[in-house]
Amino acid sequence: MSDGFTITDEQRDYSQYNLEANPFPYSPVPAENPEIFCGQQHVTTSISSTVSSVLSTGKSKHLVITGKYGNGKSHTLKYTRSLLRDREDVVVGYVAQPGEGFLDIYHEFVYDIGFNRLQNVAYEYLASITREVTDVNPTGPEAMRSLIDEGDVLLSEIVPEAIRQLSNITKFADFARAIIHMVYEDTNLYAWQWLTAEGIRYEQRKEMEIHSALDDDTMGVRAFTALKNTLLALGYTGVFVFVDEFESIARLSPKNEQGTLNSIRHLMDQNSSGLCMLFGCAPEVWQDVMSEYHAFSERIGREVALRPLTSEHLYELVNEYLDRERTGNTSDDTVQPFTEGSLDHILQRSQGNIRQVLSICSRILDSAVDEKQSHITADFTRELLIL
Amino acid sequence: MLYRRRELDLPHGELQTPVLFPVRNIGKRSSDNTPSYVTTIPDFSAAMINARSIRNRKPMWNRLMNGVSLREELDVPENTIVFADSGGFDFVSEELDTTPADTLETQHQLKADIYGTVDIPITRENRTTVNQRRINQNIQFALEASDHHDCDAHLLASVHGYDPETIRNNIRYLEKHGTFDGYALGSLVPIRTDYKKVTKLVIAARQATDKHLHVYGLGGLVYQPLLLYLGVDSFDSSAFIRSAGNRNYLIPGFGGEELQNIEDMDMLPCPCPVCGQRKLDDIREDRNALTQHNLWALATELRRFRYIVESGRDVEHYLDLRFQGNEVTQRAYKIAKQQVRGLA
Repeated sequence: MSDGFTITDEQRDYSQYNLEANPFPYSPVPAENPEIFCGQQHVTTSISSTVSSVLSTGKSKHLVITGKYGNGKSHTLKYTRSLLRDREDVVVGYVAQPGEGFLDIYHEFVYDIGFNRLQNVAYEYLASITREVTDVNPTGPEAMRSLIDEGDVLLSEIVPEAIRQLSNITKFADFARAIIHMVYEDTNLYAWQWLTAEGIRYEQRKEMEIHSALDDDTMGVRAFTALKNTLLALGYTGVFVFVDEFESIARLSPKNEQGTLNSIRHLMDQNSSGLCMLFGCAPEVWQDVMSEYHAFSERIGREVALRPLTSEHLYELVNEYLDRERTGNTSDDTVQPFTEGSLDHILQRSQGNIRQVLSICSRILDSAVDEKQSHITADFTRELLIL
Repeated sequence: MLYRRRELDLPHGELQTPVLFPVRNIGKRSSDNTPSYVTTIPDFSAAMINARSIRNRKPMWNRLMNGVSLREELDVPENTIVFADSGGFDFVSEELDTTPADTLETQHQLKADIYGTVDIPITRENRTTVNQRRINQNIQFALEASDHHDCDAHLLASVHGYDPETIRNNIRYLEKHGTFDGYALGSLVPIRTDYKKVTKLVIAARQATDKHLHVYGLGGLVYQPLLLYLGVDSFDSSAFIRSAGNRNYLIPGFGGEELQNIEDMDMLPCPCPVCGQRKLDDIREDRNALTQHNLWALATELRRFRYIVESGRDVEHYLDLRFQGNEVTQRAYKIAKQQVRGLA
C-alpha cells in the first residue's frame, strides 16, 4: 500500500516574494471579465478602429481575429466585451462557438445577454410607448416596472400599442409579442424560451398568440434582426456579437457549413447599420473560408492576427500578473522573483504562446516556494522544465 | 392563510363576510323560480341579481316601477342584502346595450346594496387584442361609474385579466383614479378548470387591495374553501341551481354526485333539513328540494371552514383532508398553498 499522497488544504506562503498568492492561473483559460491585456498593439488598434467606427457612425463593421490556439483569441474577445459592457448604449453578446448553425449562434448570443437584460429591453420599450401615449415620463426599465406595479399607467392601454408599433419596427409580430410577454410573470419564461430559440409547446405559444416556431437559421436571422432593430429604435447605437472558435465550422458538413456562412452573410446584408461582429478563428480555417466562401469573407472587411509574445510583451505580461498580488512596494518594472534569464527561458520554451507562458509561470512559482528559492533563476527554470 | 372576516355596513343592514351570494334567476325567466332559502338558511340572507335582465323584462320592470319592491318580487324579507351585477356575462354573446350611468341608475332603482360596474368578460378564445380592448373598456366603465356614484350602496369595480400583472395593475390604477368600496374579479368561469391560473389571479387581486374582494361565479363546493383560504370576502354561485337541474347532489366535503349513481339507499348522506326527514326517491323527484339541499351543502362547507378557523385548528391540515379525495382538487389546493406561502 502506498502512502505517497499528501493532500492538504494548507496554502503556500508567497510572502517572501511580496505576494499574497500565486497570481497565475493553474488552468489558463480566459476569465469571464479579463482585467489584463498585454501587447498586441496592432490587434488593439484594429479592434478599437472597428468598434469605434460602429459607435461613431452607426454603420455596421466586422472583423476577424486569427491566431493559433493559446495565443489569446478568446481572451481578446472577452476583454473587448468587458470594455463595451460598461457602455449603456450598446448590447454585447459572446458566443463561445458557432455550434451547428446560425440558430445556435443566435441562441448563445441571447443567452449571453441574459433574461434580465432582455426583460429590461421590454420594459424600456413599454416606457417609450408610455411616454408617447400618456402624460407620464418613465426614464428607464425600473421606473416603468414601478409605474405598472403601482397602477400609475394602465397596462391594457399601452400593451396593444406597444405590440403594434414593435411589429411595425421589427416586421415580425411574433417577436414583438414575445418581447412584450417578458413583462408578464405567467408567460415570461415561455417568452424567454421562444426568444432564445429553445422551442416551446404549441399551447405555450398560443397563450402568447405567437404563431411561428423559432427553429431554423432563417428564423434565427429574422429574430436577430428584429432584436437589433428593437434596440436601435430604443436609441442604442449598436449590437456587438463576438463569435469565438469560429474554426469549428470546419467540423460541419459542407452543406451545413455553407448554410451557416450564408445565414451570417444574410444577417450582415440585412443589417447595414448598428451591427458589429468580431470572429475569433484559427488562421488555417480562415484561409479556407476566404478561398472557398468569397461572398461571406468579403463582407468581413478585415483580418487581424494575434502573434506570439515577444520578450518585451512577456516581461510586461508577467509584471502585470504579479502586480495583482503584490503586498509591498517593489521597484518599478520588476518581475521578481522571476529573473530575466528565467523569463527568456520561459519564452523560448513556450514559443511565445500566452497560454503556455501562464501555465509555466504558475507552476514554477509554486515550485520555487516549495523549494524555498529566493529567486527564480534560469537554471531553476531549466531544471524544472526538463522534469 | 389569507382568510379574513369583515363586516359590511350596507343600506339594508350589516353583512358578515366572507359570504356567498346565491344567484337568483329573476329576470331571466318571467318570474324568479329560485326556491326559498333566505328565511330557512340563516347563512344566506343575501342574493345576487342581474340588473340588466330585470331591466329588460318589461312587465317585471313596470311592476317594480309601480310600487312593488324588488324584495317583494323575490319574496324575501326587506333586510335581504342584494348584490346587483351589471349582467356583464350576457355580453359574451350579446351586444353591449347599457352605459355605466344607466346601469348605475337601474341598480339604484332596484335598491341594491352592492353594485357591480358594467363589464364585458374576456375569454381565452378571443384574440389578445380583443381581450386587451375589453380590459381597458372595463376600466373606463368602472371609472365612469365611480364618477356617477353618489349613494350609500357599495360600488365594486369589475376587474378582468388573465395574468397577475394586469389584475394588480388594474386594481391599483382604479384605486388611484376612482372611488370604490371594493373590487370584483370576473371572467374566471371560462378558466375555472385551470386552478393554478385562478389562484394566481385571486392572490394578485388580494395583494393589490385590502378592500372588499368579490369573485364572480366561483362559489361552488370546490372553489368555496379555496377562495376562503385565499382571503376572498364574497363570491356568488348558481351551481346549486344548475347542479339540481342536472340531478347532481352536492355533498359537503366531497363534491357533486349524480343521483342516478345512488340507488340502493333509503336516505341520503346529508342530515340537512331537506334530506334529514325525506327519502331518496322523494328528493329525486323534487327539483326544488334538491336545489335547497345543494344550498345547505354550500352553507355547511362555509360553516365548517369558519369552525376550523374559530376553534384554532390548523386550516391547512383541514384542507389537506378536505381535498385528498380528488387528485385535481388536491393539486389545486397544493398550488394555492404554495402561492399563499410565496413558494410558487
